[in-house]
Amino acid sequence: MRFLATGLLAASLALAGTAQAQQKPGELTVAMTQFPSTLNPHIDSMLAKTIVLHMTQRPLTTYDEKWQAICLLCTELPTIENGKAVPVDLPEGKKGVKVTYTIHPKATWGDGTPVTTKDVLFTYEVGKNPDTGVANMEQFREIVGIEVKDDKTFTVTKDKLKFTYNLMNDFRLLPAHIESANFNPAQAAEYKKRTAFDTATTNPGLFFGPYKIAEIVTSSHVAFEPNPTWFGEPAKFKRIVFKVIENTAAMEANLLSGSVDYIMGELGITIDQGIAFQKRNPDKYNYDFKPGLVYEHIDLNLDNPLLKDKRVRQALLLAINRDQIVQQLFEGKQPVAHTNINPLDWIYDKDVKTYRTDQKKAAELLDAAGFNVMKEGYRHNAAGDRLRFELMTTAGNRSRELVQQVLQSQWKSVGVEIVIKNEPARVFFGETTKERKYTGMALFAWISSPENVPLTILSSKHIPTKENNWAGQNYTGYKNPEMDTLLEAIEVELDKGKRLALWTKFQAIYAEDLPVLPLFFRAEPFIVPKWLKGIVPTGHQYGTTMWSQNWAAN
Amino acid sequence: MTRFLSIRFLQAAIVVLVMSFVVYGLIGLMPGDPIDIMLSGDPNMTSADAARLRAVYGLDRPLFERYLGWLGGAVGGDFGYSRQHHQPVLTIVLPRLLNTLYLMIFAFLISVAVAIPAGVYAARHPRSLVDQAINLFCFAGISLPVFFLALLLIILFAVVLRVLPAGGMTTVGESSFGDRVRHLVLPVATLTIANIAQVTRYVRSGMIEVLREDYIRTARAKGADENRVVWRHALRNAMIPTVTIMALECGTLLSGALITETMFSYLGMGKLIFDSILANDFNVALIGLLFACSVTLLLNLVADVLYAALDPRISYR
Amino acid sequence: MASVTSTETAARAADDAALPPPTRPALLVWRRFRRHPAALIGAGVLIFLALLAVLAPVIAGWRGQDHEAVDLFNRFQPASAAHPLGTDDLGRDLLLRLIYGGRISLFVGLVTACLTASLGTTIGLVSGWYGGRVDAFLMRLCDGWIALPLLPVLIVLAAVDPTKVGLPAAIAKSPDLSLYRIVLIISLVAWTTSARLVRGVTLSLKTRDFVQAAVAQGASTARILFVHILPNALSPILVAATLASGNIILLESTLSFLGLGIQPPVASWGNILTNAQEIIWSQPMQAIYPGVLIFATVISLNFVGDGLQDAFDPRTEGR
Repeated sequence: MRFLATGLLAASLALAGTAQAQQKPGELTVAMTQFPSTLNPHIDSMLAKTIVLHMTQRPLTTYDEKWQAICLLCTELPTIENGKAVPVDLPEGKKGVKVTYTIHPKATWGDGTPVTTKDVLFTYEVGKNPDTGVANMEQFREIVGIEVKDDKTFTVTKDKLKFTYNLMNDFRLLPAHIESANFNPAQAAEYKKRTAFDTATTNPGLFFGPYKIAEIVTSSHVAFEPNPTWFGEPAKFKRIVFKVIENTAAMEANLLSGSVDYIMGELGITIDQGIAFQKRNPDKYNYDFKPGLVYEHIDLNLDNPLLKDKRVRQALLLAINRDQIVQQLFEGKQPVAHTNINPLDWIYDKDVKTYRTDQKKAAELLDAAGFNVMKEGYRHNAAGDRLRFELMTTAGNRSRELVQQVLQSQWKSVGVEIVIKNEPARVFFGETTKERKYTGMALFAWISSPENVPLTILSSKHIPTKENNWAGQNYTGYKNPEMDTLLEAIEVELDKGKRLALWTKFQAIYAEDLPVLPLFFRAEPFIVPKWLKGIVPTGHQYGTTMWSQNWAAN
Repeated sequence: MTRFLSIRFLQAAIVVLVMSFVVYGLIGLMPGDPIDIMLSGDPNMTSADAARLRAVYGLDRPLFERYLGWLGGAVGGDFGYSRQHHQPVLTIVLPRLLNTLYLMIFAFLISVAVAIPAGVYAARHPRSLVDQAINLFCFAGISLPVFFLALLLIILFAVVLRVLPAGGMTTVGESSFGDRVRHLVLPVATLTIANIAQVTRYVRSGMIEVLREDYIRTARAKGADENRVVWRHALRNAMIPTVTIMALECGTLLSGALITETMFSYLGMGKLIFDSILANDFNVALIGLLFACSVTLLLNLVADVLYAALDPRISYR
Repeated sequence: MASVTSTETAARAADDAALPPPTRPALLVWRRFRRHPAALIGAGVLIFLALLAVLAPVIAGWRGQDHEAVDLFNRFQPASAAHPLGTDDLGRDLLLRLIYGGRISLFVGLVTACLTASLGTTIGLVSGWYGGRVDAFLMRLCDGWIALPLLPVLIVLAAVDPTKVGLPAAIAKSPDLSLYRIVLIISLVAWTTSARLVRGVTLSLKTRDFVQAAVAQGASTARILFVHILPNALSPILVAATLASGNIILLESTLSFLGLGIQPPVASWGNILTNAQEIIWSQPMQAIYPGVLIFATVISLNFVGDGLQDAFDPRTEGR
């Protein structure tokens, strides 16, 4: 029987290679691993939702694939230079800014109602109400007020003049003509149950993007059709279906069997699956392994007495061979990180201090730190404490588990003992990192946008404690007054040249102090059939679906 | 018997009530909640946002208070709202329940349709080659991890032979009955393969036992037609313990098809319960679990009654 | 079984001598068991796998390999003299990993089945013997327990700080913690089957003459339960435990699939198989080997359980 099973599988796999990618004219079926819990642009925060919404909507502004800020719904990006943004003095001596946007004149909701400043005001009203359940409220909180000039032009006053003053990347409009009936400011908490985005999702009036939602089945799929009122480049497909397949092995089978045409990188298969798939099917698909702003790293608990010593942290990074990991496990497709700044970001300092593998130097540093007694193959200090850390990550993430085991083995060769302890994601993120319960190392990723200021991650004001109800994301407990002032200075520095100098200094401190051990930036495999054109991975959280009007069959 | 039944029903109701509390408590005890996960995936969200969201979803109130609130609503027929899907609980649960029923009924019917003839044949020819082959296939079916079995089936039928879809409920944009059935074949096959062994073996051993009984020997001695003896007299008696075990199997099928549902992207109860637990969607998880729990209890009760009817040595007070 | 194998030749001689009535029940059982070729083969497979598992460190020493030493330059090597089954995704010898994985999987199966059986037997004995309210309570507990969702229990337990519940630091800090957790959880969940089984046996034995006689002679309850009733319940318990250990090995792999199983670098067949499913298209053998091992083990356990059942059942005699 077992030989039968073996034989069957082997034969199956051999034959599987002969499968051909198929295409139904005018249709495209895309696989993704997650289904959005809601389609309301402001309730909850979830990558799947953003991806689906960008088929049907556009925020005011965004970053393009070159990581430059651009206008999507507005006509021209307001700047201080072109006079559309004006610094102002606010009461209490604060410096603010007034930014004027004009909505695209042809922007129209799918039911024919024009997109106007009424929608802007309504969105602001919903968003600033604390009971609505808006996930990212910062963008509403920083708004002091909105003045409307006409149907298409409005001016936003923000309470702080940051270098990102002209961006409203997450400001997605709600259709006032539909949603105002569902929103009662006195009962804002009811809005999330009433919103038409979940109760009447196929209402064309909810969308103004290239596509509108034609059919939606919870947890199964979303089907899109072209939206005739779209003001940009017209949509090319008659029908696009996003199909949810959670298991990535099953997802690959769906691609091979032809029931799915394309696997999107943002929510698709893992990098090693992608690499293996490419090796087996080199000619049938186009591949794009776009390295992005997903920063895989190890948070070090700086309250751990062993990790307080900078020499130990530096030695830990010197002892591992990240180039080898990236080359052997990921075929060099994921760039090694030296700090949290991606090499593709314009603020990246190519002369930043790097830690090329040097186990000899690592050993010297560890000796100097007092861990010079070798017992049972591991280093101990004079007091008999073993150089031993717990390395934790999310259980069930195969790529991370592989990296973890390689690191364990590399650290062992300089006498550092690593105990691997993994937990389900909800325990890991919900308690272990948030409440800083990990004792040594926590391996995970931060997702960010271009030129993101990691204030909540590195500022000493954002260390989660019981007293502040675990607010903040500075899980390492990193405290450096110089870093604190630097972060705040970067945020309000408008001059690009001066800001670059600050960023360079930031990277120098980061690389010297090593509050976290940088590993690499994750790459996402896009597996695109040869006949499908126009898919341009961006590498940041505003992904490919933002340009879905360019997708076309050849 | 009436008294026994009413006591058991009362007990079952208490078990369900206690279960609802235990499950609520367990989900509440789980560390972290979906808002923490949101936080870890979105660099723009602040901790203040998280605290506010918790208040909006009532996740900041004490667990017991929330439970009482839920219980009050549930008794009045209001099962609440799904936090995860932003829809009323029954809107979410009922279609899933229907999907699971399809899956269960098909798997059950096929199991029975194959298991009874196979089990009877094996019992009539114990130790024969066919008996041993049936035995081998039964054991083979229950000796592979379900996710691996499912993957093998997908590879063979969807990727290589391309005769069946690899997963999903229907082909999007098509809603014919035939299409629906095609999507059911592989998940049903997986469930059947994993469950058929139990039934077959019970039919076989029940049958062997019955065929040894005096009244069967008498019937045979009187020259009754062998087929009539086996299929009419013997099978009916042999089926009683089998029905018991099948009743129990059904209960586990309801919530236990999680792995099959995951592998085939089939929208059933098992996956729904699993996802709602992970997402702290209390209302959906509770209703799903309590439903599964009630069915199990009910079938257990049926099993006990059948036992009592079968074995006069066991008495129920 | 040990005493059985030592008398094997005697048994065969007895068999040849036209079946004189055997003197020892164990002998009788063995004679019946021996008539099951599948069960015999199954027992052989299990003994072989168990031997490999026990000898894993010896084999590692003999081959001079470390099952946890990562070698990134030797990933997915094809089979060779040095690596009879090739190497895995981190360049470790796959054969050695499978042998060490067997150690864990078989350990989980065996230990958990024993724990489950003891717990279930105790509850079943008490429930069946005392009857009445005790019985009603325990059996309703049993009902509720079956319906209890495994998943939140697992996640809650995953978050419990083991040092706070009084576990010694050596265990709490050990990488095998996930292993102990799995054993504990499955035992806590799976006792219901044997409890029902033993309760049933106790119920029917309670009214038998020899038990009534013991009661009349004033034997203590413990003595009646453990000396008179338990031995009569042993054979169904043994059969159930054999079958259960197969299910437990499967459950371990399912938990790995859900990301709640035994954590790397500790290898188990379940987590080797789960990890391999993502690479099944490029490296199918990485999935097939652990799959076959799980399959062979579980099917062997089923056949052995089946054989034992027949061997213990006196009515199968003479067919």
